[in-house]
Amino acid sequence: MSAAIEMKRASSFAGHAEEDFSLHPAHVQTEDFSVFYGNFEAVKKVNCNFPEGMVTAMIGPSGCGKSTLLRAINRMNDLIPSCRAGGTMTFDGENIYRKDIDVVSLRMRVGMVFQKPNVFPKSIYDNIAYGPRLQGIKNRNDLDEIVESSLKQAAIWDEVKDRLTTNALGMSGGQQQRLCLARALAVKPEILLMDEPTSALDPKATTKIEDLIGQLRGQYTIIIVTHNMQQAARVSDLTAFMYEGTLIEFGATRQLFTRPREKQTEDYITGRFG
Amino acid sequence: MRLETRRLLDRAFSSLGLIAIGVMALALVVILTPIIVRGSGAFIFRSTIEHRKVMFDQWDRGNAGRLETAKAEVAAARQPVYDMLAAFNTELDAMPRADRKPYKQSLRDLEKALAGLLGPVPGERTPVLIRQQYGATRWDRTQIKLDDVLTTEEWDYSDPTALGKLVRTPRVEQFRGTKLEPLFPYVEQNIKAMMQPRWTCYWQFLFDTSKDSHIFGGIGPEVLGTIYLTLGAMFFAIPMGVIAAIYLCEYAREGRVISFLRICISTLAGVPSIVFGLFGLAFFLNTIHISDSKSVLAGALTLSLLVLPTVIRASEEAILAVPRAYKEAAMSLGAGRWRTVMTVILPAALPGILTGVVISMGRAAGETAPIIFTAAVSVGRPLLPLEALSQPTPALSWNIYNLCTEHEAVDEIRHVQYGMVFTLVAVVLLLNVFAIIMRARISKKLRG
Amino acid sequence: MKPKAHSPKRSLVMNASTSRLRRLGAFLGQGFLFSVTSLSTLTVFFIFYFIAKDAFPFFKLEGFREFFTSTHWYPSGHPAEFGAMAIFFGTGLVTLGAVAVSVPLGISAAVCLSDVLPFNTRQIVKPVIEILAAIPSVAYGFFALVVFAPLLQNHGGIVLSTGAWLILTPILSLLVIVLGDLLADRFPEALRRKARWICTLTLGAAALTGMMMLGNHLSAIQIASGTNALNVSIILGIMALPTIVSVSEDALQATGRELREGSYALGATRAETIMKTVIPASLSGILAAVILGVMRAIGETMVVWMASGNASRIPEPWYNMLEPVRTLTATIAGDMGEADHVTGSARFHVLFAMAFCLLTFSFVMNLVSESIVRRSRKKLGK
Ligand SMILES: Nc1ncnc2c1ncn2[C@@H]1O[C@H](COP(=O)(O)OP(=O)(O)O)[C@@H](O)[C@H]1O
Ligand SMILES: [Mg+2]
Repeated sequence: MSAAIEMKRASSFAGHAEEDFSLHPAHVQTEDFSVFYGNFEAVKKVNCNFPEGMVTAMIGPSGCGKSTLLRAINRMNDLIPSCRAGGTMTFDGENIYRKDIDVVSLRMRVGMVFQKPNVFPKSIYDNIAYGPRLQGIKNRNDLDEIVESSLKQAAIWDEVKDRLTTNALGMSGGQQQRLCLARALAVKPEILLMDEPTSALDPKATTKIEDLIGQLRGQYTIIIVTHNMQQAARVSDLTAFMYEGTLIEFGATRQLFTRPREKQTEDYITGRFG
Repeated sequence: MRLETRRLLDRAFSSLGLIAIGVMALALVVILTPIIVRGSGAFIFRSTIEHRKVMFDQWDRGNAGRLETAKAEVAAARQPVYDMLAAFNTELDAMPRADRKPYKQSLRDLEKALAGLLGPVPGERTPVLIRQQYGATRWDRTQIKLDDVLTTEEWDYSDPTALGKLVRTPRVEQFRGTKLEPLFPYVEQNIKAMMQPRWTCYWQFLFDTSKDSHIFGGIGPEVLGTIYLTLGAMFFAIPMGVIAAIYLCEYAREGRVISFLRICISTLAGVPSIVFGLFGLAFFLNTIHISDSKSVLAGALTLSLLVLPTVIRASEEAILAVPRAYKEAAMSLGAGRWRTVMTVILPAALPGILTGVVISMGRAAGETAPIIFTAAVSVGRPLLPLEALSQPTPALSWNIYNLCTEHEAVDEIRHVQYGMVFTLVAVVLLLNVFAIIMRARISKKLRG
Repeated sequence: MKPKAHSPKRSLVMNASTSRLRRLGAFLGQGFLFSVTSLSTLTVFFIFYFIAKDAFPFFKLEGFREFFTSTHWYPSGHPAEFGAMAIFFGTGLVTLGAVAVSVPLGISAAVCLSDVLPFNTRQIVKPVIEILAAIPSVAYGFFALVVFAPLLQNHGGIVLSTGAWLILTPILSLLVIVLGDLLADRFPEALRRKARWICTLTLGAAALTGMMMLGNHLSAIQIASGTNALNVSIILGIMALPTIVSVSEDALQATGRELREGSYALGATRAETIMKTVIPASLSGILAAVILGVMRAIGETMVVWMASGNASRIPEPWYNMLEPVRTLTATIAGDMGEADHVTGSARFHVLFAMAFCLLTFSFVMNLVSESIVRRSRKKLGK
């Protein structure tokens, strides 16, 4: 179960050589970025770049602030009354915590897939069309097209194309999660945030989601939170390791898993704590 | 204490609880049984020829030819009674004055009792009041009226220490040895031929207007009035209640203002219903003069205040039961707060809200105290929807009270009272059963 | 790198006018929601204001003294008399009676629902309670007046003695057994078995004689009028049951499993667990339930109006439930019909004064029960 051994298989799967990712243009960038719940600082002065078109994994023990940081990127934390952010986080060069930022546009450009599949209790079609409809697309043909292409992108089209009008709650967990992915893709985002998207799924469904992430690499900037180090090793180009709200180490996945620079990272990936 | 005693106490304790629940169920059965059994008697009962006459004369129902034949048969059966009376009158005329006197009052009483049973004497001038134009219309009333003819009742107060005693004597005693003596056995034996009882389903009871202050006819105006009041109350209460619930659950930040509003809501829920009635009178009618007199509108507004807390609470509960995940999903797709509420939260909460609404409807339909001063009158015709803005209406709940306390012939119209209670209870219970089933389905859905 | 799938970028920054518009929209929208919410909740102040507005002229005209201390209620007399003490008393008497009926029954039923019955049975019993709560008060009133009152009037003695037997038999037999057991414990070991028999039998015989005497006494009673305080109390008690059961069941449930398991683990029976740990822990919630039940009984109009007899005098002796009484709600309902064509007179305002008393009382009671519930919730949360 050593992560290092797993790594060899994973990197061959990902099929990319070690690169210097700092040369890639940053899509999302944080500077001394902190998040507070009341007085509790859940994310502490994080500085990092999420490069465009890459898959970045965030790992770390539970409660270390991964979800909090991830949800800060599309400002989902705004829903929590006690939550405040400090520092700056830029997306495409704009500080998204500025006052005049349109959160709705931000969220349309930053898609999100949650831990538990959260399809609406509506038909499959209406689930996918939800986002486009919000953007004012009413034409049936356009909607049909978006629904079909999103479902195909999420590799679920063949399974559901004959029952688009049935209630989405009737699908299996894995299918629901891919539907959620398709739903997020239908808004045509630039970034996809995934918060432990496979933790509620069985191994087979997990593999499917991981394959999908592989296919979407390059088209979207993907940031995925996972507590599963093998998964991080398998799917990501870059990995961030967080501990107690602090970003301990951030670098190419291969390097982080084989030659971690920090002692804490090494302890964590070799399973000595957490 | 011994272990056995402790065990016994334990078992006794459990059975105490079971008894309490049994008593509750028993109370429910005891209260509902007479209402259901006798209430359905307003719809399905043995009607007499008199009922058919009423139906034909007042509502044009029934077959004229068959009714005429029946009338002829009945008249033939009744003729001996009138013949005997006539014979007795001749007999009286022949008597000396002093002998005649004691019979006079008895004869008048008898004639009155007979009119109650059979209706007016054929050939005489038709009385003005409809109730005097017909005899007993129902077989159960016939039995009572027959008893009136056959026996006299008198209260005996001779013993001052005890309550009065009822003394019943056969009326025939008063007419021993006269030509009237055979009348009593004749009536008793031929009552069926004279009344022609037959099982009837008078379903129009629900829709007919009443004739001669509820002695004949149905409860149509009351049913309609109750429907107006209930729907009117919900028309105001649903939007207000649901909006308040949305605000409290989705927009308000917990704090002083909100906890204050919550205290207001629970206080509103605790206000006695009669106080709502007075408020409706003082505010809607006497202050802002929403209508010149009592009106359905004023009553509906008053009722809507009464059910508002229930609607708010039920809606709040339903909204809070919607999984947070739905909200987050909608938000992450770029929906604003309002869009999230309208497209995701409300649809998911709808069944729960509906459950609360249905229960409140039952409450609004059954409440009496708030409409006494604001909307209800005892007798009225069915209103058109627009008239409801300015006109008062009879309503089931109010008329139940009115008919069994203030009516001039309370005992004559028991069946109407029971019919009304039955209708009201049936409506309320159906609404509640609907809500209970709906809630069971929701909770099943949430669980699995 | 593969071609990008997404559409042309929308700008993240709102231009000033959109931003202002949005903010205005949000402000107006929230303002609208807030005003509807406060309008519907602040109605309670409207109610207070308008009731008080019409109540104060009465006190100004007639003062407080007579209203609260005299029992002479002749609002249409010359001169009119507005002594409402008997009416307040009637309200209290009827409410007490209702509490006596509903509290023991309600709490036992709540305990049974939360701790004794299995889940499935509970699902059947709950609708019974809901239906009991749903039946309109005028239907209860009709039952009280048309079915129950004649029964009491014609067969009062039998009804009373049957009731007494039904209530007292289980209680007394339990008492006899427990007392017998406790007494026998005082005897030395060797005699204990015999002593237990003797004690139980003697006590049982004594209880039985007592019951017989009471039964005979009761069945000799003739009730002059079936519309009286007893009738109304029983019906109001039944009406208050659902409130008491459901609120106190919630309170019992809220104490949680751990507490119960702790007690069971020490070898307590279910009855001991409930009496000694669960009920004390949920006492405040049960108190709140009782208060809500009291409010339901006090605020009820139709039943008391129809079946209490509406006699404005204090029964002789004061606890005599077989006499007719009169309550505040029934007075308001009954007298307003005659008073509303003399709007503005003391006769009109006195009814608002009564309503004001009712309102104040229910407001205070509500605050008390709210604060009890809130405090107990805080305690359990810790
Ligand atoms: N809504 C919240 N209110 C207060 N504290 C929170 C809230 N959500 C999370 N936290 C705290 O913030 C810290 C980080 O949480 P989270 O980001 O969910 O961790 P992770 O996803 O890495 O497991 C945890 O200590 C957690 O207790
Ligand atoms: Mg997390």
